Amino acid sequence: MKVARSKFAAIAAAGVMALVGSVLTGCSDPGSGSANTGSDSKPAAWPAQDTKLDGVKLTIWAAQNSNKTPASVISGFEKLTGATVNVVTIPDPYEQGVQTKVATGDKPDLAFWQPTASELTALNAKNNLISLDGAPWVANYTGKLADMTGSLDGTRYAALVTTPAVIGVYYNKEVFQKNGITSTPKNWSDFLTLAQQLKAKGVDPFYEMGADKWATQWWVQAQLADDAKNGLWDRVNTNKEKFTDPTIQGAINTYKKLIDQGLFNSDIKTANFADQGEALLSGKTAMVMQVNSFFNELQASASTAELNKKIGFFPISPSGNVGTYIPDQSNALVAFNTGDSKREAAARQFLSYWLGDGYQDFVNAQSTVSLLKGVQTPSSVPQALQDVAASLDTSVGSMQALAVANPDLYLNLADMIQGTKTPQQVAQATQNQFAQLAQAQGASGF
Amino acid sequence: MSSAASTFASAPHVRRRRSAVRFVQPAVALGLVALVLGVPFWLVVVTAGKTQAEAFNPNLSLPSHWQLWQNISTVFHQGRMTVAFFGSLFIMVPAVAGVLIIGAMASWVLARRTSRTMALVYALAISGLVLPPAVVTIVLLLRQLGLAGTGVGMVGVYMGMYMSTVIFFVTGFVRTIPVELEEAARMDGAGPARVFFRVILPLLGPTLATATILICLYIWNDVFYALFVIGGRIDTLPLNLYQVASAGLYLNNWHLIFTYIILMSLPLLITFAVLQRRIISGITSGAVK
Amino acid sequence: MTQLTTQSAVRAPARPASVANRRTRQRQDHPSWFLFPALIVLLVFFFLPTLYNFFYAFTNWSSFHSSISFVGLSNFKALVHDGSLLKDLRITLIYAVLVAIFQNLFGLVLALVLERDTAINRFARVAFFVPVVMSALAVGYIFQALLKPQGGLNHLLSFVSGHDVHVAWLGNTTWTILVVAIIHAWKWMGLSMLIYLAGLKTISEDVLEAARIDGAGWWTTFREIRFPLLAPAITFNVATALLGSMNGFDIVQATTAGGPGGTTELLNIFIFRTFGQGLFAQATTMSLALFAMVAVLAFPVIGILRRREAVLS
Repeated sequence: MKVARSKFAAIAAAGVMALVGSVLTGCSDPGSGSANTGSDSKPAAWPAQDTKLDGVKLTIWAAQNSNKTPASVISGFEKLTGATVNVVTIPDPYEQGVQTKVATGDKPDLAFWQPTASELTALNAKNNLISLDGAPWVANYTGKLADMTGSLDGTRYAALVTTPAVIGVYYNKEVFQKNGITSTPKNWSDFLTLAQQLKAKGVDPFYEMGADKWATQWWVQAQLADDAKNGLWDRVNTNKEKFTDPTIQGAINTYKKLIDQGLFNSDIKTANFADQGEALLSGKTAMVMQVNSFFNELQASASTAELNKKIGFFPISPSGNVGTYIPDQSNALVAFNTGDSKREAAARQFLSYWLGDGYQDFVNAQSTVSLLKGVQTPSSVPQALQDVAASLDTSVGSMQALAVANPDLYLNLADMIQGTKTPQQVAQATQNQFAQLAQAQGASGF
Repeated sequence: MSSAASTFASAPHVRRRRSAVRFVQPAVALGLVALVLGVPFWLVVVTAGKTQAEAFNPNLSLPSHWQLWQNISTVFHQGRMTVAFFGSLFIMVPAVAGVLIIGAMASWVLARRTSRTMALVYALAISGLVLPPAVVTIVLLLRQLGLAGTGVGMVGVYMGMYMSTVIFFVTGFVRTIPVELEEAARMDGAGPARVFFRVILPLLGPTLATATILICLYIWNDVFYALFVIGGRIDTLPLNLYQVASAGLYLNNWHLIFTYIILMSLPLLITFAVLQRRIISGITSGAVK
Repeated sequence: MTQLTTQSAVRAPARPASVANRRTRQRQDHPSWFLFPALIVLLVFFFLPTLYNFFYAFTNWSSFHSSISFVGLSNFKALVHDGSLLKDLRITLIYAVLVAIFQNLFGLVLALVLERDTAINRFARVAFFVPVVMSALAVGYIFQALLKPQGGLNHLLSFVSGHDVHVAWLGNTTWTILVVAIIHAWKWMGLSMLIYLAGLKTISEDVLEAARIDGAGWWTTFREIRFPLLAPAITFNVATALLGSMNGFDIVQATTAGGPGGTTELLNIFIFRTFGQGLFAQATTMSLALFAMVAVLAFPVIGILRRREAVLS
């Protein structure tokens, strides 16, 4: 039927034109529903912790390694207020899944999220999150935690619930004793001297997990601690300094040199996270440069008593014992602006409860260091973790914490270990990626 | 011919070869199964029967004591498997039925009509085989239609994704159905709809069988698209695996994960085992024509 | 549609068969509206989103800001400059070819071994279909566990050979891509086997009888008669293997995540990672590139196979 065919063609053409038209009008992010209002200019309302919330349903997005974390808080909160809180697990890779879901317009009420400026930018905090300014619990943070992380451009978006991770060295005390080492190194050159001593005695000084990759970056970051204090990342953020310039390149070169000198395990290319934990516990290796989650792995297979006896911690930097802090996804939560003011208020209330009346039960249930004044750290927390928390006040920010964007430095370093990239190529690839991300964000200088 | 053949077949040297093969072949078959499949499946079953500590690093050793039934019940509860099973079913069945019928209807017309326009439409219709579906824009579109997070939306997405597959299979097959059958029905006064549903569709059984299997496989196991379209709102079997698979920093309850995987694969497997002969004879006239 | 039935009633007397009349009849007997449901579904749930997606390649869509503006071809230029695209395209191509070869080889061998309908063969066929039914994620987990340096496979090999086997199957920068392709083939060979089984059954018994009478051995029969007549099955299997491996990435993601050293990084893995960093427009640019590669490479191959089918049958 000629008529039917041409009618069909007309409909199709109209459809295509409508499509093209809508794209050409430069519409704003399709993921955001109505016109963006962003965060309120007036300070948010912070309801009392025990306000009744019957019939209110909150959704929390969590990763596979943080979905059991809020359990105690949720049961306490539900009992107190009558709300229902549901945890939805987003499969790994977590950040990618969350960003993609948010891009499709799907938003939870709360989600675990890395509280660093670069990651808050990646989530488009200004448009997607509600501000947590004026929160009653900020004043209760111990030490310098309140100012350390969780804010972007002066507005607080993330609530820290567990102490941020710190990059430092976990060592096997018994190996030290056996080899006549009586004190931990006080700076980087002492650290290396110590390693050479241990190597001479036949012990693997260091252990790296080349197959699982993500810890490779700690070696470079620890070397940058002094420079970070002196504004290294500010310069990198404005393109005044690059990854390929001597400071960062030098750190990468040193890492390669240490590997080539044989100071690491011989199976560095195939070792994984479980191997690393086992190696330190059994004394096969003396020291491991890692973050808190490494210690959590040790806790899965050894008791607190055993860990207190065997494993110690000290931070290290070029000129002293300064740690580099790197808050991760499981340390903090953000709240989304869903447009539903009742749920947004309830989300704030939930955070107030978590960092208020519910906090003591939380640290007891999770066996973690308390970060609120007046809440005791349970005695079941091993000494090493307490040392880690104690090092926070003098620590400096990592690349994740201070840089505007988060390139995959660890992936490039892992390629270097496998032999498919040279140190120069590592720095170059990382710089390229960093520049691309910074430019996409509209950072000045790129 | 046949008597000559049978005389030939019963000649002594052939008989000996035949019986040797008859013995060797099953041995080879079973050997292949044991080696190529046995080892991986052994790993799955053995790990599914262990405790968390033993299953931490999955290996081939036997569990010190079997707790398969316990694991099954844990997984059933944690993974809300009954709900998830029906979730998967209520999405897969309409999607498959819908895409088969609608796709077959279109294929029939595309196969019979030979104009240039139709050739173009056909090329467009099967381009979906090559183009990867764009998940973000699909969900955005669903959101505008008000279907985001709904079962209807998910069914629509799957139908869109696999329509090209159906059209690709069925069009070729329709061409092998003699037009005379249609003519006969039309002589009796049947309109196109009647002709299609009464005459053509029943004859499409074989090719639809092929398409059904493939599409069912993809939909039953799909995590990626389901996560973004209905994740968090509707339970399906592949999505609920993540309720069960928890991690320290890495997945660490392999005993539950592998138990879940066994349970999740059972429905399709049982269906296949039961309908095996039908399916193979179905495919015989399906994809390979 | 009553209009049509009355027309067909009127049509009953014979007419001169001119092309115009044939076309009209075609249009009446196979009406266009039969196409509409399928085309609507395709348009709404597939074409519109895909086209929309490709449009974004010309913008600066990212997770960092809400506004989207045109940037023309700058994403494409940046992509060409960056060496990763070509490297990943190459790896994806190698992977697809390896999968096509292995999957078909294994499937054909299995079909030939399990050809007869004995009880054991039927059991074996179901067994080989189990990997097809399992999710790709599950297959990834299983082989990750089996192929670790201290995993099941090395254990078995040590046991069998008597001395310590400690091969890092998933840790070799040159050969791991082969291992991953074999795993992919392992998962899907049951389906290839099924198609080849069906294909073998369509070969007419008379032709095979004639060959047997002429004294042709098994191998000659296979090479001269059965293999050529399997052409449609080969086309189907190679096509699905190529398309499936070029567009899929679950197995590789679950076993090596693109490692070691980026030597198994399929383009889809790179795309997913770029998307995950918030660089949405750049990711869609890359999927355009992948689509171009698939179109340029897969279609000619399928065309060649289709033509071979026509020649051989």
